Amino acid sequence: MATAGAGKQARFKCLRCGYEYTDVYAPDRERTCPKCRSNSVRRLRK
Amino acid sequence: MMDAGRHPNIELMTYTEIENITGYVGNFHVTVRRKARFVDESECTACGDCVPVCPVIRPNEFEMGLSTRRAIYIPFPQAVPAAYLINIDECLGDVPIACGKCLEACDKKCIDFDMKDRIERFEVGAIIVATGLDVFDPTGLDEYGYTRYPNVITSLEFERLISAGGPTEGHFIRPSDRKQPKRIGFIQCVGSRTEISPDGPNPDGSRGHPYCSNICCMNTVKDSLLLKDHYPDTEITVFYMDIRAFGKGFEDLYRSSKEKGVRYVRGLPGKIREDPTTHNLLVTVENTTAGRLETHELDMVVLSVGFVPPEDGHIKKLLTLSNTSDGFLLEAHPKLRPVDAPAKGVFFAGCVESPKDIKDSVTQASAAAARAQRLLNKDRVSVEAITAWVDHDLCTACGICVKVCPYGAITADPKQKIKAVVTEASCAGCGACAAECPQDAIVMRNFTDLQIMAQVEAALAENPEEKTLVFACNWCSYAGADLAGVSRLQYPANTRVVRTMCSGRVDEDFVWRAFELGAAMVLVSGCHFGDCHYMTANHHTQKRVDKMWDRMERWGIRPERLQLEWISAAEGQKFARVMREIEEMRRQVTREEIEETKAIIAKRWRKRRK
Ligand SMILES: [Zn+2]
Repeated sequence: MATAGAGKQARFKCLRCGYEYTDVYAPDRERTCPKCRSNSVRRLRK
Repeated sequence: MMDAGRHPNIELMTYTEIENITGYVGNFHVTVRRKARFVDESECTACGDCVPVCPVIRPNEFEMGLSTRRAIYIPFPQAVPAAYLINIDECLGDVPIACGKCLEACDKKCIDFDMKDRIERFEVGAIIVATGLDVFDPTGLDEYGYTRYPNVITSLEFERLISAGGPTEGHFIRPSDRKQPKRIGFIQCVGSRTEISPDGPNPDGSRGHPYCSNICCMNTVKDSLLLKDHYPDTEITVFYMDIRAFGKGFEDLYRSSKEKGVRYVRGLPGKIREDPTTHNLLVTVENTTAGRLETHELDMVVLSVGFVPPEDGHIKKLLTLSNTSDGFLLEAHPKLRPVDAPAKGVFFAGCVESPKDIKDSVTQASAAAARAQRLLNKDRVSVEAITAWVDHDLCTACGICVKVCPYGAITADPKQKIKAVVTEASCAGCGACAAECPQDAIVMRNFTDLQIMAQVEAALAENPEEKTLVFACNWCSYAGADLAGVSRLQYPANTRVVRTMCSGRVDEDFVWRAFELGAAMVLVSGCHFGDCHYMTANHHTQKRVDKMWDRMERWGIRPERLQLEWISAAEGQKFARVMREIEEMRRQVTREEIEETKAIIAKRWRKRRK
């Protein structure tokens, strides 16, 4: 299933520790917070 | 290959491409294109009279470009059938005035320029995918000078150079001066076991692939022994990170190679330079055992290149297969069903699943054949009673379920308004379709919405504000929670777990209902990406939870109250830690917040449901 924005830079926020960061949006890749290793990482949309 | 060609029950279709595969286990419909050879293979005696008259000369792909072939050729010496074919794109033309020399030379008149591709259709019950792999191209690794220096070759080119049937008929010479090299270096792990670095030549910054290609160490050990047997005075140096000689008899071969004088230097060369007059190679390497920088003058360097997964995703798409993070095909289960594809009736053999040597490939191929045979001997296949079915009174033929099914088990046509139909023999029961269906028209047997809702309600019947509700997938997270329990790891006693077959089954409605009932925190947990029992069904979980977080924010509920975690069956520790962390968060959720959420859900979600 195609997902809009794949391969482009996006903002992410960890919903465990609150850390925000920028990374490439890859829907087929597991997301992990670089700070606390949680997977509760939300892709922020503006 | 000749045995296969002669076997009465095997029909070999060479020079043939798969156009389409439809159907499911026991009933696959396959369409193939049998490409025109322009030579009648049943008449051709492979006399070779056509070859010398052909004026078109091209690099011989089988000989790695180290020799040439004509436009009419046999791809490699043991090819089955032993008959010529014409590459029509290279051929000067079938117009006799343009060329047509082979037509005149062929006594048996088996060349036919009017031959056309043929489309054939047939049915099979099982499919074994054995499409192999590709070899890493080291051209981008500037420091080794491959293609810039004639005496830097790959291990595959080396293989052709020492083969009695190769371009030099087994005379071992180096390309620059056609003299026998006396000092040879092998560099291991070229394109394998590399880290991603900013200066890497590949688009993603990598210098190859992170995995071990499995056979390169033993291939070099074998080559070194071969050289020592035929040319005992050759000085051989192998540059390596680790020699991986596991496997029956392999350590003996490695030891024997060292006993015969092959020198093993621990360290990968940082640079190769060439003496422009002699074309000898100066290899600079940090010998990490001796702790010093060394320069070796060598006559020839062989790059022990690794393997890459085959680029063609056509078969993968047709059979709805998926791959592991290394790009090789994903098996149904890494330990218990290693030759089965997740799609029923499909099996793997050889390197398409991972790089492996001949022995392992033969073992896996035998296993795949036995698995296929076992299936074909049955009159009917049984499926677990967890498959999906569609309530046609509710289905609006939107087609969303077709897109999310990892197995291609659902058909529907939104344009023609043809409602969804599940091929139950192909359905594995993940429930991603049921979770995504906006009409709730898909029912998962034994994991129905009603059954799961009843569990949610029971779990939150008393003091819901003190509970954390966990949706855990059967194969990984539930097993991880179980492991935490049997390992007596401490995690909060207010955890309530609802099991679904896959995290992809977790419908938004289940989560909203939990919040409506007053749950303080909800966790959705599934297998790690690449470990999902249902291939990519957990990718839909992540997308869905992302959507739910956005919705929560819009509705005025803190997205933090919905958590997502990938927990494997072995990660009991992780399950316990995550539950402790979530308990910390739960303590911050006030009764007012919970009441407010209940009101929001009642207004927003209930309205949507109506
Ligand atoms: Zn974090």
